[in-house]
Amino acid sequence: MEVNRISEERVDEKETNVGEEEIVGYRQQPGKIPFSRPGSGGKNQFSNNTDPKMIPRSQGGDLEQPWGSHRHDSIISGQIIGKPTALIDSGWKVTGQAHYGDDVRLPGELIGRIIRSPHHYARVLSIDCTRALELPGVVAIATGADAKNKFGVLPVTKDEHAMAVEKVRHAGDLVACVAAVDELTAREAERLIEVEYEILDSIHDMRDGLEDSNEPIHDRGKYHIGESNVQKRVFQEFGDIEGMSKSAIASHSKNWFFSGVNHAFTEPHAVVAHWDPSGRLTLYTPQQVPHYVHRALADVLEIPMHQINVHRTFVGGGFGGKSDPFPHEMCAAILARKSGKPVRITFDREEVYWVNRGRHPSRIEMNLHADNKGRICGIETDALIDGGAFASFGHVTTYYNGVLHTAPYEIGAFHYTGARVWTNKPASGAMRGHGAVNSRCAVEVGLDDLAEKLSVDPITLRLANLLPPHSATITGFRVTSIGMRECLEKVKEQSGWASKFRKLPLGKGIGVGCGFFISGSGLPIHWDPNKFPHATVHLKIDMDGGVTVHTGAADIGQGSDTVVAQSVAEVLGLPLDLIRIKSRNSDTSPVDLGSYSSRVTFMNANAAISASMEIRERLLQAASEITSAEKDDLVVGDRRIFAKSDPAVGVSYLEALHKAQEDRGALVSSGSYRTPPMGKTHKGAAAGLAPAYSFSAYVSEVTVDVETGKITVDRVWAAHDCGKAINPLAVSGQIIGSCHMGMGQVLSEEMRYGRNGHLMNPDLLDYKIPSVHEMPEVIPIIVESNDPEGPFGAKEAGEGPLLPILPAVCNAVYDAIGVRTNELPMTPEKVYKMIEKRCRSEGVPSSTNLSCPTLEYSQLQKELEERAIRHSERDIERRLSDHRDDYHNGALFGLDPTKPPDENDPRWEVRVFPGEDYLEDPRLAGSAWKHTERRHSGDDK
Amino acid sequence: MRMPPFRVFTPSSLDEALEISRRLVDSNEGFDWIAGGTDLLPNYKWHINVEENVISLSSVGELKKLSENHIGAMVSVHDLAKEDSTHPVLSKAADSVASIMVRRSGTVGGNICLDTRCYWINQSETWRESIDWCHKCDCGTDADCRVIPNQNTLCVATYQADLAPVLMCLGATIHLASHKGTRSMPLKDFFQLDGMTRNVLDEGELVTHLTIPDDSRDWEGDYQKLRQRESWDFPEAGVAVLWKKGGSIGNPSSLRVATTGLESIPMLHLKESEDALNNWEGIGSVEVLSESIRKAVKPVQNTWFSPSYRRKMVKVLTKRACRGILVS
Repeated sequence: MEVNRISEERVDEKETNVGEEEIVGYRQQPGKIPFSRPGSGGKNQFSNNTDPKMIPRSQGGDLEQPWGSHRHDSIISGQIIGKPTALIDSGWKVTGQAHYGDDVRLPGELIGRIIRSPHHYARVLSIDCTRALELPGVVAIATGADAKNKFGVLPVTKDEHAMAVEKVRHAGDLVACVAAVDELTAREAERLIEVEYEILDSIHDMRDGLEDSNEPIHDRGKYHIGESNVQKRVFQEFGDIEGMSKSAIASHSKNWFFSGVNHAFTEPHAVVAHWDPSGRLTLYTPQQVPHYVHRALADVLEIPMHQINVHRTFVGGGFGGKSDPFPHEMCAAILARKSGKPVRITFDREEVYWVNRGRHPSRIEMNLHADNKGRICGIETDALIDGGAFASFGHVTTYYNGVLHTAPYEIGAFHYTGARVWTNKPASGAMRGHGAVNSRCAVEVGLDDLAEKLSVDPITLRLANLLPPHSATITGFRVTSIGMRECLEKVKEQSGWASKFRKLPLGKGIGVGCGFFISGSGLPIHWDPNKFPHATVHLKIDMDGGVTVHTGAADIGQGSDTVVAQSVAEVLGLPLDLIRIKSRNSDTSPVDLGSYSSRVTFMNANAAISASMEIRERLLQAASEITSAEKDDLVVGDRRIFAKSDPAVGVSYLEALHKAQEDRGALVSSGSYRTPPMGKTHKGAAAGLAPAYSFSAYVSEVTVDVETGKITVDRVWAAHDCGKAINPLAVSGQIIGSCHMGMGQVLSEEMRYGRNGHLMNPDLLDYKIPSVHEMPEVIPIIVESNDPEGPFGAKEAGEGPLLPILPAVCNAVYDAIGVRTNELPMTPEKVYKMIEKRCRSEGVPSSTNLSCPTLEYSQLQKELEERAIRHSERDIERRLSDHRDDYHNGALFGLDPTKPPDENDPRWEVRVFPGEDYLEDPRLAGSAWKHTERRHSGDDK
Repeated sequence: MRMPPFRVFTPSSLDEALEISRRLVDSNEGFDWIAGGTDLLPNYKWHINVEENVISLSSVGELKKLSENHIGAMVSVHDLAKEDSTHPVLSKAADSVASIMVRRSGTVGGNICLDTRCYWINQSETWRESIDWCHKCDCGTDADCRVIPNQNTLCVATYQADLAPVLMCLGATIHLASHKGTRSMPLKDFFQLDGMTRNVLDEGELVTHLTIPDDSRDWEGDYQKLRQRESWDFPEAGVAVLWKKGGSIGNPSSLRVATTGLESIPMLHLKESEDALNNWEGIGSVEVLSESIRKAVKPVQNTWFSPSYRRKMVKVLTKRACRGILVS
């Protein structure tokens, strides 16, 4: 081995000589050494040959394009996109050199602690800090009086303060904060701060939030809904609501309760605030959305935004739980300003649960109807969600619980009533699969039940009811690429569905579930999309050839730095080690909306591509000038620009770069992304609007212990349509991670509240995240539908893959033991109760004697199979054709597909306010509409 | 989260350890023994019944002896599980404790003396303050029990350790030492039905080792455990069944059943197993025995699963643990 190694080194030397010879043509002045070698920066100093398998068919390469060509095909250099790539920051993480929030150490730092309310709901009468301030080592104490301005992640629902101004709204709500020389002193000071409370009647059951209250948790002035705790209500009707129940031959109805779940990321919240000598604040924080913190800090601290630098540290997991501006971030800044020293606050795990922003506890009534042709002629959903003490993202969540299950199926009618109420619990917010997870589970379980009632296969039922590519949903969402059909076909085939479904013995089951999710939210929260872009990326290349990329996209472990680097590298034909991402500081990063709504790959990579194309143009121009080749004939390969017609004619990347830099110095460019105009105009039409949507289908196989009720998930076949896997390794990781997270919600994770309203399990021993023993074998199946607007065809893969695992497990449990849950998580205890109940109702003495569900196809099965084949042909034609007609939801029900259904048929009119007839007998969440908004009730408040 | 400060003593012999404890007892200074620390330190982080002094036994070599009949208190749960001479049922129970990392640190003595657990006590200080404390750690407020209100005499926190039931069935003897001398007793007599006192240990007294009777290899059996996850979680119920084979298949000559995770102490169910053995009729007797164990345990609502579910599962676990009796 040793001999080999030496001989390799010799070869290297030889190659180096050759390399130097190669640059003889490069004009040198006497005495000047070359600035660097052509092609330097990569591990291999020579340009690699372009692999035709990486070049799309449309460009003369060998890469198959079953979904047609893409607008980015011509800029593919064949280097990076589609190759499994380790995340570019993984080296830092695995060697322990990544600095997370709590790793930031500034000289002279103080430790901040937060004084929290022991009461669920109380008026703060007085706060006495005298004794605490006398304690040696205590430097500063702040209370709500120090920061009276409200903030909140959504501009329409700012209802949070840094610390309680008048009232505390949940046990664990912030009352005051203290900065001291060390943690021990700060904790001691906590005890010495005396707070006097007047205890108020607290609300813990979300249903109580719908009623009028003497002391609503918040007061929204003239916009308050009655005297209730309703924070947001939605009413939506699309399609032929009246015809729905008339034509139904099978219906499903279920009232669900979903417990709240928390993101349970590894890194607890931590923040360091520092006011530098020039009077500027730097806030070091593991944030998903640094820009909103930036804005909120300016509001709360009453200083201009340019006086603040938000430094995003490495983020130890976010999942939506680090996307609000947080009160503790304000506290750190306030304490640092008061004390004149850096202040660090790190949460205990309990505090993570108190700040929460996890998935809403929800009560969802789901009704589905199918007609005699096996079409889904109606979905009626009523979702009451428990927002806890603050609004957070709840305004959006309330919509998402409805609108995000209007696809991928073509439906005849959609009725949705949703309400979000304030209760005296830690605030719910956005969590992976935001707003879509619970109602999606209810829909997919409902479809399984409908299939059973129609005596058809549930996969066939789905395949015969899918929207085609390039269509509009019943709510008017513009859907471009749809890989749903491929997802379903692949999981069906690979799982051996046909030989297993309804054929496995008692205790063994198989089930299917699908998902649909936004790939980026269509409208930015803070501004008009017609004025400012969603994402901006800046590039700078100097003589060393390295590309500095400035982006505000927040890498929270999902790999956004990597995907931006990959996009730039691909367009410029460079290896990844030539790309350096600068995404941490708001001082240097262009504004970005942050890492939520699965927008980063779609929007940031598009912006990065557009910035790179500008530089690419200049490099091609320079190469053309050097080689005299026609610019149009030049293509980019690995660190080399050459003529497509004669690859021997070309220059190295550095040669072209240095030529392009003549008279100008460093090359800089800027690229941005904004969504195209889309969607309808009714109230709430913007919620759920996205430039593209992801689709997924999972099949899971489970074992249920019929004597204990314990569920074991054995295998999951997980197909996800991410458009194009820019990094297949990261996509697979997201799919497997989503399975784990979703499995937690379906099997064991819940925020459990005790009889007097306390959160009983605010720690990672009692909050039951599945362990490695619970984790099944997951077989990720990547489906690439080549989205026309996505970067290189890509869509999201971070949230959508979570949705299908919940219903897939629920449906498999039914296949195994014939019981359907209406409550998550399905702990062994709950499953055991259902088994007991089934035994009693069927008069079976022992659960081991229960029968399994069986299936004998009805006539409809064949009809659906044939329709699925016809639709499959229709879909292929639509996705490949450039001259397709519009297709609006409703065509399956006989309407003209080229016009929106409400223009077709008056019965399909869109309604966003309930009529009086509805209010006579509203559903649970729908009863929120019985209140009159104060501004309409003649009240002067 | 920081632990409150405390002073650590690290004696290198048992005598030295006992001498330190005598000094602390005499000067009325509170202290805790610490073995693996996997139970004590999380409680300290939560500021539960914290003492100012801690005597670490990690350097006391005498407590680390392990053989077929002798298990030192400082033997790690992992070593016990993996040692060839360990009784197979004991090894199975040891191997199911918490997670590999906890088993590597946690010790046999620590597992036997595990503090009782309850939803209302295993919480942070701020949390416990918000419920006005509880009986077990009342911070001087004379607080009520939060599980069963209106009684503050008995603590009903649950004993959730895996080794005790198996050791009790094997007839293990526990050996204690203090500066006053040593004493021994059957393990079943070591526990005292109160979630606070838990056992007979006097101030300054510690567990040195356990001995197992010579006939342990004649006993066969099984340990079955209920929990949400196959790692980390404490037992929500645990059943050890050990028997000696009789003359014919499916007919044990001796039978012992013990449970854990259901009350403030582990329980050896002598009467129930004796009744079953006296009228042994094979599979029917297993059913009767399982039902009688279900009736004998009285869990309360203070862990992850509800008491009614845990009782029902005790029956299933007992039946499963008895499977080996009925086969050759």
